[in-house]
Amino acid sequence: MLNKIAKMRFRTKLNLGMSLIIISLSLTLAILVTHIATQSLVHETKRRGQVLADNIALRTTGSMLSGDLLMMKEMVDELRTVDKDVAYAFLLNDHGQILAHTFSKGFPIDLKNANVITNSNEPSIRLLNTGADKIYDFAVPVKVGGQVIGQARLGLSHNQVQLVVNGLIITISVVTAITLLISIGISTQFAHKITYRLGVLGKYAESIVRGELNLSQTSGLSRNCWEVYKCDQTECPAYGNTERHCWQFGETLCTNYCSNKSMRDLDNCEECPVFAKNSGDEIHELAETFDVMSLSLRGHIAELEATQADLTHQQEILRTILEASPDQVALLDRDGVFVSTNLAFASFAGKNKDDIVGQKEEDIPSPLNTPESQLETQKILQSGTPVNKESRIVMPDGSRKWFHIARVPVHDENKHSIGVLSTARDITDVKDYQNQLIHSQKLESIGKLAGGVAHEINTPLGIILGYAQLLQEDFTEHDQIHKDLVVIEKQAKFCRKIVADLLNFSRQTKSEKKEMCFNNSIMEVVQLVRHAFKLDSVRIVTDLDDRLPIIYGTPEQLKQVWMNLMSNAVEAIGHNGFISIKTELDISKETITAWFTDSGTGIAPNYIDSIFDPFFSTKPVGKGTGLGLSVSFGIIKDHGGHISAMSPAPAKLLELDNAPSGTRGPGTTFKVVFPLDDSSED
Amino acid sequence: MKHTTLRILFLALIWCLPLLLQGCGEEVPVVQVNLDKRESIKVPVPEPAITYAYLPQYSHEVSYTRHNSLVQYLAKETGFPMRQVFPDTFAEHVRMVERGEIDISFSNPVVYVQLAKMGSEAFARITEPDGSPDFRGQIIVHAQNKSIKDLSDVIGKRWIAVDPHSAGGYIYALGYFLDHDIHSHDFREIAFAPGPGGKQEKAALAVYAGKYDVASIREGALDTVKDKINLQHIRVLALTPEYPGWVYSARKGLDKTIVNQIAKALFKLSLTDKKHANLLKNAHMSGIIPATDADYNAVRTLIHKIDADKKASQPESNPATSSTADK
Repeated sequence: MLNKIAKMRFRTKLNLGMSLIIISLSLTLAILVTHIATQSLVHETKRRGQVLADNIALRTTGSMLSGDLLMMKEMVDELRTVDKDVAYAFLLNDHGQILAHTFSKGFPIDLKNANVITNSNEPSIRLLNTGADKIYDFAVPVKVGGQVIGQARLGLSHNQVQLVVNGLIITISVVTAITLLISIGISTQFAHKITYRLGVLGKYAESIVRGELNLSQTSGLSRNCWEVYKCDQTECPAYGNTERHCWQFGETLCTNYCSNKSMRDLDNCEECPVFAKNSGDEIHELAETFDVMSLSLRGHIAELEATQADLTHQQEILRTILEASPDQVALLDRDGVFVSTNLAFASFAGKNKDDIVGQKEEDIPSPLNTPESQLETQKILQSGTPVNKESRIVMPDGSRKWFHIARVPVHDENKHSIGVLSTARDITDVKDYQNQLIHSQKLESIGKLAGGVAHEINTPLGIILGYAQLLQEDFTEHDQIHKDLVVIEKQAKFCRKIVADLLNFSRQTKSEKKEMCFNNSIMEVVQLVRHAFKLDSVRIVTDLDDRLPIIYGTPEQLKQVWMNLMSNAVEAIGHNGFISIKTELDISKETITAWFTDSGTGIAPNYIDSIFDPFFSTKPVGKGTGLGLSVSFGIIKDHGGHISAMSPAPAKLLELDNAPSGTRGPGTTFKVVFPLDDSSED
Repeated sequence: MKHTTLRILFLALIWCLPLLLQGCGEEVPVVQVNLDKRESIKVPVPEPAITYAYLPQYSHEVSYTRHNSLVQYLAKETGFPMRQVFPDTFAEHVRMVERGEIDISFSNPVVYVQLAKMGSEAFARITEPDGSPDFRGQIIVHAQNKSIKDLSDVIGKRWIAVDPHSAGGYIYALGYFLDHDIHSHDFREIAFAPGPGGKQEKAALAVYAGKYDVASIREGALDTVKDKINLQHIRVLALTPEYPGWVYSARKGLDKTIVNQIAKALFKLSLTDKKHANLLKNAHMSGIIPATDADYNAVRTLIHKIDADKKASQPESNPATSSTADK
């Protein structure tokens, strides 16, 4: 039963409960009122009968004393005309003899003794049951001066009273029934009103659950606070806000009734006219709370969405960074399972990124993921000690690569290791540069040493050369000594050249820079060597920029550079070839570039990085010092420029000559870039 | 569980309340009566007895209260069956004496003079509560009534008397006025106190209230109103001469033996006897003494004088009053 009631709709329960209460109250009240009214009516009837009996007893005293039977008869008859309820009345003298009565067909014998006064000071009341009727019989002594001289008897019909009572019961029943119907009708409407509003609130709550937060249960304010108080504090949060009531704000600038700024503390608001105009009952307050909750949720959700968008954006950036990074990144959990990796890692492992996540570490083998590294993972998880190392790995194609590997433990809030973050960076190039740097530093030290030595031996060498030339004059050309002196002179000169190159390499010769024509500098050298090169069928083709670029430099040093480059070119060609020289002014970059291209044999790829090293030479011993290109490199660098070599030469530059392509080698191009405004001096 | 039981009990109590209240009604004993058995009622006829009547200057109840115990005493004392009868008026009292329906009459002297004409004979009279066998009337005015300083000033004034048949309240005063040459028609108005009962008091109250200028009452009546008015505001203008008090008379033809036995029983009454004292006090008298018809000649003279004056004044005047002491 209770279960059935519990499953009923709230509206049904409310209707049922209120109906039960109303019916119970109505029935109880009807019964009570009927009972009380009946009792009152009976009491009043008895009191009326008593009064009538007392009255007749008093009024009849004189007549009884004087024996005026006619008067007594008139008096008792008068009672019946006065009151329809009076069934009978009669008078007895002190001997019990009937003096007067209201019966028309003889006096009922039994009536006289049906109600006997036992106490002369007290009236006696009996309910006489005649079969057809019930009659209240009142017996009152007629007394004069304390002496009883007779008795007055009066009968009031109980049926008449009962008829009145029945009428009363019917009236009360009808009134109760009408009241009941009206009450049930009103209570039904009331229940409908409440449940309807609760239903609306329920739907509203469902809407909130579905995420529809733009609905509102309470209509706008009928009177706004800033209108009521003629307020102009536009910075107040309640000012201009028609969605929320002012008492729903925690902080307002209102000082009228808002001494306590705590939200929903309505004690201060009860006297406020704004509250009085806009407040409602508890359901209204509930709806307001829903609205506030909806607004608050809307705000929180907006913040969450913004935060989520920001987080997504950050994630995207992080993911992009992670994916774009050439470093291999992988996150392992405490069980050695991949939680996340980046593209570089997946590419290195030769697998799809999604295929790696969720796999055990040992299931994704790679040159970097070896049983040793897996053991290392376990150690990191156990000890919490990070690993930072450089490893040289042998790749499947046999090449070797250097990797910088950093592996750090990932901790939870309790500082417990829950995973390992591994990064591996390919530092092969860095290692190469590092080696080159070390090599350059060695060369620089050697250069300085060689320069110092050359400077020290230059003077004695000059003396040797001078004395060799002087001694030659003392001997004939055919003299063996003369010949030996010539050899000494020739070797001394060769030594002097070596010393001069060494000094140039070590910048121990000083020359002053000045404004000069770049093209002229080249053309002077070309004119100088064109004839000599022609003997070896080597042509020189020029394509110089005719805008006459002027640079700031040392003409002699630059000529030396051009000479070195062209000498190397003709030596690479050997016989029958060409050398193309092209210059170009780039005003936007404020640079001038020269390309020296030959149709020679070119440079092997493994040598191309070493050609500017001092003492590097592919020429036979005695043919070259290995200092030409390194000296040129130093001069150009000294001018703020840059020189680089390309082999084979770009076809576009080779095509400057019209010779068939089959007659030339792959060739080499040296590219020299000079700044127009040299700032190397600064 | 306990709360559930209590709740059920509470609901049961609420529901049973109307039933419980059913027992709160007023119970009246029920008697079975058969109204079909009927008989015709005969008028009760009083048993033969010596009848005793008190001149109805008061209501029947007062008459009964004052004299019923005295009647009972006489019956017991004489051995004769006695019954008090109640005439409604002075005239009926006189007629009942004349018809022999009243054997022993207790009346004032004025009425007795009338009864004596019908053959009644006085055999006893009472002494007043103060012990005097005689009584008189008082003529009173309001103490602040400056227009009445002496008796002659009542001429043209309004006079309220107790009753046309009242001895001390009217006849004695009227005789006194005549003695001072003041006639009925000299008054602007002669009125009588409305009755029945309390007429002496009403006359005194009418003067006190200023409704009438002069009132006539029997001596001693002011004591009955001392609790109602300030007697300082009442001035006794004059006192009438004294006349014999109320009288017992036997109707014409009543056996002398009976009269004597009754007289004897009446004369036995004494204030010294406690039972008798209650009877006498209840009857507003201090004792009963023998009387003869000659004791009331002074009253007869007074009545003759009044009648003569009335006759003399009738052709030439029309007094404001409609009643005179002609009975």
